[in-house]
Amino acid sequence: MFAYVTRRVLIAVPMLLVAMYLVHVGVSATVDPRSEFYVCLPRCQEGFDRITEQYNLDTNIFLRPFGYFSELARGNLGDSSSIGEPVWDTLKTRGWNTAMIAIPAFLIGAILSLLLSVYSARRQYSIGDYTFTGLSFIGFAMPSFVMALLLQHIFAVKLEQLFGIKPFNTGRKTGENFLQLARDVTLPAVSLAILGIAADSRFGRASMLETLNQDYIRTARAKGLKEGKVVWKHALRNALIPLVTLWALGFSALLGGSVVTESIFSWPGIGQVFLRALGDADLDLLMAIVMFGGVLTVTFNLIADVLYGVLDPRIRLG
Amino acid sequence: MNDESPLLTVDNLSVGFVTKGGIVQAATEISFEIRRGEVLAVVGESGSGKSVTALALMRLHPGNAITTGDVDFDGRDLLNMSDAEMRSVRGSDIAMIFQDPMTAMNPVFTVGSQIVETIRVHDSSVSKQDAWSKTVDLLQLVGVPEPKRRASQYPHEYSGGMRQRAMIAMAIANDPKLLIADEPTTALDVTVQAQVMEVLHEVQAQTGSAMMLITHDLGLVAGSADRVQVMYASRLMETGTINQIFYESQNPYTMALLESIPDVDGLKDRLEPIPGNPPSLLNPPSGCAFRPRCNYAQPICAVDKPVLVSVGVEHESRCLRAHELGADTEALV
Repeated sequence: MFAYVTRRVLIAVPMLLVAMYLVHVGVSATVDPRSEFYVCLPRCQEGFDRITEQYNLDTNIFLRPFGYFSELARGNLGDSSSIGEPVWDTLKTRGWNTAMIAIPAFLIGAILSLLLSVYSARRQYSIGDYTFTGLSFIGFAMPSFVMALLLQHIFAVKLEQLFGIKPFNTGRKTGENFLQLARDVTLPAVSLAILGIAADSRFGRASMLETLNQDYIRTARAKGLKEGKVVWKHALRNALIPLVTLWALGFSALLGGSVVTESIFSWPGIGQVFLRALGDADLDLLMAIVMFGGVLTVTFNLIADVLYGVLDPRIRLG
Repeated sequence: MNDESPLLTVDNLSVGFVTKGGIVQAATEISFEIRRGEVLAVVGESGSGKSVTALALMRLHPGNAITTGDVDFDGRDLLNMSDAEMRSVRGSDIAMIFQDPMTAMNPVFTVGSQIVETIRVHDSSVSKQDAWSKTVDLLQLVGVPEPKRRASQYPHEYSGGMRQRAMIAMAIANDPKLLIADEPTTALDVTVQAQVMEVLHEVQAQTGSAMMLITHDLGLVAGSADRVQVMYASRLMETGTINQIFYESQNPYTMALLESIPDVDGLKDRLEPIPGNPPSLLNPPSGCAFRPRCNYAQPICAVDKPVLVSVGVEHESRCLRAHELGADTEALV
């Protein structure tokens, strides 16, 4: 296992460096912080030159990442021009806010998609199976902002109008204590989770069905094991592998922030600030957010790889 | 139960599968006995209903199957007992060995832990350590070298033959009264086949359990079975002792099967294959199911359905001409 993990980490590190390099080149090529100066040149030559110097914009675009990396190594991510504080501080507070909805969204999504997968596979072609299939298609097809608005409308507005109860808030991080916070977090977390559930439960169902038809499941039954043990011990462990990939990648995407959901729920997370940075051509902040997304993807890929090894000895030892 | 009574009595067992095209009759009115300690071979082509019969005994057949009939195992009614009671029989009183050892073990658990699980599910008073040392002994018994080390390996680290040995070890872990071996050597190399059969016989002799050996390999049957049962198109065609089947067969299908076995002494110039294909179980031919491929068929065979008739002591054959077939078969063609 140690050798396996070491191998995966050794692959992940260069992958991360290459990813970060490409991100830097990509973002540099698409965002120009001097855009508003072009119309006033040469009147504002001074400001233009200042920005050029600040971001090393006269260096070749393929060499620019190295300057960035050397600053990064010193722990300097630059300053955000739109917010007016060090990028690191913004990233920290916003990242934590995003995590507050991303972690519950991931947990809800993982648990429900797992339960639905097992249920649908065990009762293939039952009414329940068809119902969940139908619902997951709706969940797939519905744009996330429609889903978010519907949830807000029903749980935070209509319920209060009709019955005078307001179980959840429409969003915005207002909570002081845990209970308050839970009311704020629930709706954005659920609306993020639903998309994941719709996709993951389909894959999980297929994987579970395939596993349940394997010979070793028949062997497990022939041993005299209870059906619960056959499903949750012998089948699940094998069926989990494709789900682990989906979960890991889904979780990294959630932690990277969701622009649409955070905007609708006025949630001060990474997605929201990303939109602002993009609008203001805040190069350092933008760079940091996209880098962060890349780091998350590579890291969670690594975690998924390690989990494969934990689940399946053929991967670990092979 | 005294020792004279049969261990397993199957009476009129039928298994049908509900499909879109209608009901497929996979086993039809099967009746037979297995006595304590004996080896009963069940022989037939693919799709003749051998495996389905065995799975139905264990109640492991797919959910869309309809099973009727009576199965008495040591005084217990297998088909009507509760699920919990059935679980206590599986892996304990009746154990099964499957065809493909490469896929019959769960790849994510060690071989040892899978055997330990079999022991402890039926007797939770056995400690993990005791079950583990019993597992090592079992692996030793079935001829797995270095059983201590091998027990903590995963199935993919075993060769096919070794895995089938481990499956046998798992099957005999709880001293079953009946071992059902469903084509235990089909997926193995020929040289390994012989070794595995030898192991199977050794453990069967040691534990004194009875065995139902399902196979399509008559050569395997010759060396190992006490009695043979030939199946065709979901029905029993002929039952008898090994000598009766091999030397005094009174059934055209059995005789055709025997004709198609290669002869190592080279006395046969060419093998005689059975012409045609097994019939569709969805709408079987009228009269005798084997009629379209039978050398001895007569017009009456298309009309009357043959029943099993006694043609000797413990020797039954399903053929309208069974009694004629005993003597001079050449003359009958």
